[in-house]
Amino acid sequence: MTSWRRQGEGGWPWLAAGSVALSLLALLALLVLLGSRGLAHFWPAPVEVVTLESGERFAGQRVRQERIAGDPQVDVLYRTGNRDLDGSYWRWVGAGAIDTRRYPDDLLVLEREHWGEFLGRLVALRAAGDAVPLPAASDEAWHVLRERLTRVEALREQRRQLSEDVIAPLARRLAALRSSEALDPARQQTLTEQWEAARQRLDALDTALARDALILESVDGQRLEQPLAGVLAAWRPNAMSWVDRLLHWGRGVGRFLSEGPRAGSLEGGVWPAIFGTVMMVLLMSLIVTPFGVLAAVYLNEVARQGPLIRLVRIAVRNLAGVPSIVYGVFGLGVFVYGIGGQLDSWFFSERLPSPTFGTGGLLWASLTLALLTLPVVIVATEEGLARIPDQQREGALALGATRYEMLRRVVLPMAVPAMLTGVILAVARAAGEVAPLMLVGVARLAPQLPLDGEFPFLHLDSKFMHLGYHIYNIGFQGGDVERALPLVYASALLLVVVIVVLNLTAIFLRHHLRARHRAPER
Amino acid sequence: MIDHSTPALGLRRRLRQSRDRLATLLISAGGIGVIAAVLAIGVFLALEVAPLFTSASVDAETSPLALNREQDEVAWMQVDGPAQITLLDSHGTVWQGSPSQTLAPVARLGQEQAIVSTAHTSRWLALGLSQGEVILVPRGDDARPRWSQASRYALFAGQPVDELVMQGNDDERWLLAGRSDTDDVAIIMKRGATDTARRHALAERASHLALGGDRLVLADDSQLSVWSLAASEPRSLGQLTAVSADRQITAMTYLVGGETLLVGDSGGGIRRWLNTHGEAAPLVAAEPYRGMDNAPVIGLLAFPERRLALAIGADGGLALYQALAGQRWRGKTPDGLPRAVDFTADGRALWWLGDMGLTRLAITAEHAEVSWETLWTPVLYEGHDEALHRWQVATGGVESETRFGLAPLAWGTLKAAAWALVFAIPLALGAAVHSAVYMSAHLRTRIKPTLELMEALPGVVIGFVAGLVLAPYVERHLAGALALAVILPLGMLLAGALWARLPHGLRARLPLGWAGIWLMPWLALLVWLAMYSAPSLEALVFGGDLRAWLETRLGLDYASRNAMIVGLAMGFAVVPTIYALAEDALAGVPRSLGEGAQALGATRWQALWRVLLPAASPGIFSAVMIGAGRAVGETMIVLMATGNTALMSWNPFEGLRSAAANLAIELPEAAVGSTHYRLLFLSALLLFVFTFCVNTLAEVVRLRLKRRYRHLGSGT
Repeated sequence: MTSWRRQGEGGWPWLAAGSVALSLLALLALLVLLGSRGLAHFWPAPVEVVTLESGERFAGQRVRQERIAGDPQVDVLYRTGNRDLDGSYWRWVGAGAIDTRRYPDDLLVLEREHWGEFLGRLVALRAAGDAVPLPAASDEAWHVLRERLTRVEALREQRRQLSEDVIAPLARRLAALRSSEALDPARQQTLTEQWEAARQRLDALDTALARDALILESVDGQRLEQPLAGVLAAWRPNAMSWVDRLLHWGRGVGRFLSEGPRAGSLEGGVWPAIFGTVMMVLLMSLIVTPFGVLAAVYLNEVARQGPLIRLVRIAVRNLAGVPSIVYGVFGLGVFVYGIGGQLDSWFFSERLPSPTFGTGGLLWASLTLALLTLPVVIVATEEGLARIPDQQREGALALGATRYEMLRRVVLPMAVPAMLTGVILAVARAAGEVAPLMLVGVARLAPQLPLDGEFPFLHLDSKFMHLGYHIYNIGFQGGDVERALPLVYASALLLVVVIVVLNLTAIFLRHHLRARHRAPER
Repeated sequence: MIDHSTPALGLRRRLRQSRDRLATLLISAGGIGVIAAVLAIGVFLALEVAPLFTSASVDAETSPLALNREQDEVAWMQVDGPAQITLLDSHGTVWQGSPSQTLAPVARLGQEQAIVSTAHTSRWLALGLSQGEVILVPRGDDARPRWSQASRYALFAGQPVDELVMQGNDDERWLLAGRSDTDDVAIIMKRGATDTARRHALAERASHLALGGDRLVLADDSQLSVWSLAASEPRSLGQLTAVSADRQITAMTYLVGGETLLVGDSGGGIRRWLNTHGEAAPLVAAEPYRGMDNAPVIGLLAFPERRLALAIGADGGLALYQALAGQRWRGKTPDGLPRAVDFTADGRALWWLGDMGLTRLAITAEHAEVSWETLWTPVLYEGHDEALHRWQVATGGVESETRFGLAPLAWGTLKAAAWALVFAIPLALGAAVHSAVYMSAHLRTRIKPTLELMEALPGVVIGFVAGLVLAPYVERHLAGALALAVILPLGMLLAGALWARLPHGLRARLPLGWAGIWLMPWLALLVWLAMYSAPSLEALVFGGDLRAWLETRLGLDYASRNAMIVGLAMGFAVVPTIYALAEDALAGVPRSLGEGAQALGATRWQALWRVLLPAASPGIFSAVMIGAGRAVGETMIVLMATGNTALMSWNPFEGLRSAAANLAIELPEAAVGSTHYRLLFLSALLLFVFTFCVNTLAEVVRLRLKRRYRHLGSGT
């Protein structure tokens, strides 16, 4: 006590220091939570075979345990899969009711196109209607399954290529031909023939795909026939070595990043969302950079500095603090309903009343976010311009340069890092904004990418998916939150990583810049 | 000797000059254009909102168009356009054609009594006859009466049916009430396909009738008597005095939906009464509307699709009333008293047959239900007995009333922002003070970008963690979470006390300048301790269940996603903003001030408290303001971490709905140009204006402070 008094500072400094620690702790906790949960989703967790005291048995992956307030018992949540057998995906069990837990090596996890995961054992394989006896040793049976699965994967890939690269363009051309006025029977004939041939190849592939089926058995003895074509991946988590697990984890991350969502966005990956976010942000930076720089150059170099410009500068700065949803409202009213509605009535009247540009889309979202981030770019660029010593400008002018030449040759090159900082900050902000997008064009599910091989290649009017909105959508709009949670974590982690990297780049650039253009000491 | 004025060089110089001028022009135009476009946001929002507050009006569009028939004899009228009207005269002849030229008889009802009163619904036309009978004519889907399918019912024995009211938009289910010239009242009702139409006489007298839903209201002098016709026998619900004793009720009508009754009296007063569904009085009165200049109200015409009515005064005054907003327009009738009127289907116009002929009245009342009072003051809504603040967009067509009160949204916005600031201000200012005064310079250069990163974390991620992780966790561990509010500060103080007793060597290893880092494990330990010990604490003090205790002892409901959770999450998002600005303000104070104070024997804390903080207080104020602006406009966190229920309560454990979240939810579905759409734009405009003003104020304060620092700095 006495030493406190002697210092005369009391407890206040400690409260202040504690608030720094608490803020950092909260940030750390958030990042650790996102990191651990987001990455753990892809880890092949061991499958337990749980025998309850009642004699009942089931297989499941332990998710977490909870204690309800006022209830001394701890409950454990298992992810049991097999929704087609017992109707639910989860199971809560009182920890006290568990008799034994075992980890048998031959337990199999199947990721399926429908009904989610299957947890159980492989009994037999059926090819073209005949049951193929499997080797008695489970390891060899597993090898057979792996081989068959590789074949199915190859077939599936062929089928995907066929339908995407051949059938879909043919169908579009046929539809266009039918709707056009001029009849061209010869062309239609050839197209129809090609179409028929492609259909036949598709049917052949389908037959080949449907050849194999698995006979599976769950831990409690229920049998199930599963067509192999509907199996996306299979693994035996309890029998995997660390290397295998790591590889499996890497494949999981890869598929998460490269595949589209499945099963109501509760499974699969986020590739369209990544692509949509990147596309939107790119378009936005194409718009915001020239205009932001132009406005900053005007404010700082051309306009006469007076009270009016000071006011404008304050106003522009303040626009950065205007809620993003307000920009969304503006975008909806002006771009979507105003300009978009006009464009529709001028150029796309044949498609009305279904709107083309008169509804949210990629272009309007980019424009709205460009408006939203414009103050960021202006402020950053202006800061950079103000940092350039006046001697540089005066020197250029004294050598006979006009103002335009001075700007182009001397000032703007020096301000490039500042502009870059501004644009990166703008991109980081835009990538994380969700609220305005909800009004101007984001979609829950848009597997079709806005960029494809069909004219005009970049579809500015199409709705797109966005990583941030994806998080909101699957976490809050969907049904099974428990099942969505791992994907939400993974998507959130991805978004945070992207934004942190962008911000770090901007911070680094700015730091670097300050060191380079430090104003000469007076 | 170099010649600088060769034609080639001159041309080049001129080219450069003109290029320079062109560039300047382009940059100016572009710059001004961009800035104008950005600033246009406010203007655009205001333009979209403006129609909400334009005044309503009722204008005669045409001068009266004289009929080529006797106007006195018109009993009922349907107008399809200026060239196509249908008239029914009191002798039962139907005329069709252009009003002034080619009206020709097309049908005859063939009754011998004169038609003295009419009533209609969208499916029926009822005609009261002079000998006590009623003719019912069904109307087709195009609203045209099927004259040949008319049926007749006896209502009174011989007396003329002076007034008729009818309900029922169904072929098999309808209600009809009539009043004879001796003020007797009788009803006929048919209650379904299997029921026959039955007549009941009521043992009460009335001078006026109104029928809404299955409630029949009789007016006699200053009394209202309410009957329920829901069952097979009429049942009296009670009586009440509606106007003061020196006045009489002179007109009555139910508005669409059958819940709102308008009552006009002989003194020119008009008042709204609502059906109640409790045991008390059958009707509850709202505040009286602005009246009609003491002239008796002799007619009230209810609109078919909206809660609007036209009131006609005995002196020829005409006024437009909206159920919630009251009188929206007043003027004169175009042409005396109406013999017959007909609203167009969309309720935007009215055909008025007066003494001089047919007049079309255009009714401009697009957003009549919205006035500044209905938005911000409690309003008596249908289905409630008292005035309330409500935001509730109707989904059930015209039958259900929309409730456009912005107060709950404003409340939710401010409540969320206030809780966010409750968490953010102590943390951010504490952190700013620590890093400006105590923190080692090396650590400071690291901490600032870290907190900047924290600011860049997207709202959707913070909102998701708050809504899906934090909210359920706090719900399960409420006691522990609340205990943290006490334990953490105490723990920080304890750390200080322990630190002072540490041996010198160890103290030098753990300097105060790095306390922001080495306190973290200590605080984490405290958090774990609090969570670990909370259940036993809860069992000891609150009987094992804090939530039940809160509910029974304090009457606080607990919702999983509530204002506290939002406050925590949004506080986390706002901390870096406030921290950065406050730290700037503190660090900007000229060093000489603090050093001077310390040289005079003050401790660092005393120097901070007495010298630095007062000097930097405007900057800190502006930091808090900007933080508040950010909290008010944050959308995703509030959207995800609250239940989005538009409540107005002080309870920190209940949900809320903020204006920004409401925009994200409702605007994509709102019809362009509707009242709802414009009101959402109004809330966006308010958000814009609020944040813009707060930020401007903060910015001005900050700039002024900067000047003062320069002054102080150069003064020493």
